[in-house]
Amino acid sequence: MKVKSLATSGIIAALYIAVSMLIAPLAFGALQFRIAEMFNHLVVFNKKFFVGIVIGVLITNLFSPLGMYDLIFGLGQSVLALSITIFAKRFIKGHVKQMIFGTLVFTFTMFLIAIELNLAFQLPFLYTWLTVAVGELVVMGIGIPIMLALNKRINFSKLIED
Amino acid sequence: MMEKMIFGRFMPGDSFVHKLDPRSKLLFVFAFIIIVFLANNPVTYAALFVFTLLVIFVSRIKLYFLINGLKPVIILMAFTFLLHIFFTKEGELLYHWKFISIYEEGLKQGIFISIRFLVLVFMTSILTLTTSPISITDGLEVLLNPFKKLKLPVHELALMMSISLRFIPTLMDETDKIMKAQMARGSDLSTGPIKERVKAVVPLLVPLFVSAFKRAEDLATAMEVRGYRGGEGRTRYRQLKWDSKDTLAILLLVAMTALLITLRS
Repeated sequence: MKVKSLATSGIIAALYIAVSMLIAPLAFGALQFRIAEMFNHLVVFNKKFFVGIVIGVLITNLFSPLGMYDLIFGLGQSVLALSITIFAKRFIKGHVKQMIFGTLVFTFTMFLIAIELNLAFQLPFLYTWLTVAVGELVVMGIGIPIMLALNKRINFSKLIED
Repeated sequence: MMEKMIFGRFMPGDSFVHKLDPRSKLLFVFAFIIIVFLANNPVTYAALFVFTLLVIFVSRIKLYFLINGLKPVIILMAFTFLLHIFFTKEGELLYHWKFISIYEEGLKQGIFISIRFLVLVFMTSILTLTTSPISITDGLEVLLNPFKKLKLPVHELALMMSISLRFIPTLMDETDKIMKAQMARGSDLSTGPIKERVKAVVPLLVPLFVSAFKRAEDLATAMEVRGYRGGEGRTRYRQLKWDSKDTLAILLLVAMTALLITLRS
């Protein structure tokens, strides 16, 4: 791994945590806890964002109240969904379509979190899945126009290149 | 808020738990999360609870901080409790009022799951309250070492985590500054229709991204100039030391596991 991408990924992770937590409560009220998920869209612009996002998720989960339990499932969900989104870029053209697909992938893979809660606290699987998936769908849906607007001004793909 | 969650959480101290090696603490908590699932009757759940209280006592953490850590999950916990109480229809009927009926088995399950929830959250909180984020990262790096054989870039992962932990406060300050600057220009993040609020986020994120990437570039240059070339042959500023305390902690956990296995039904 090159030094530049090490440094960039570390800082993206920090950004993921800082932004999500500071801006979120002001802007979106009840949705604040999951707003960081919006950053998942970044891989659509350049797959090199993958590592940074995964580290961000790792740190967030490491310090979450459920700790390492969250770590395994939360990280698993992010890695899986991000990989599928990156892989699908070969077949889907256009950032908007890719982001919509990514949103659906993330929403669907929330079943892993539902499995986690089901195993740990015997919460009903389907109902839990529905609840966590809706949150994800809304946040990532809102994320699409934000990411598009951002990309227009700061070209994400070029930002992380070389 | 996140700053509170990550950095404000660590309470420096010199208790037995504080002095443990991060590796033993990580192993301890990790194993504990697994053995929690061994409990399946009142005695074993009581044992888990007492064990957790004991660890809290030894760590000399004020109960207030632990309860604070519970806040983000209190709704989930209450929901889980109520769900088990109202929807388990086994055992003797304890209480009935109109369409609400509580059964013995439901009450039992509700209490069991709540205890499981509590001990999980408390144990994790003790780990993050007594161990600084940077030593957690150090410990994690060593524990993940075996995965190097599977081509997992363990050293790089740990380094990126350290970089990230180092820059979270810096970027939070920056976010705060930009937010205030934009508010002074009349940007409004907290009122108005959702569409307007979403729009207001963009002028916040643009400068933040640009400056963050500039920082990354500076950092990369600084690392190159100082001759950073990966984990091979690198020496450490912070040395980890495993001593008898750590072995004792692990033995305690083994004893607890044996106890749970004998007492469970």
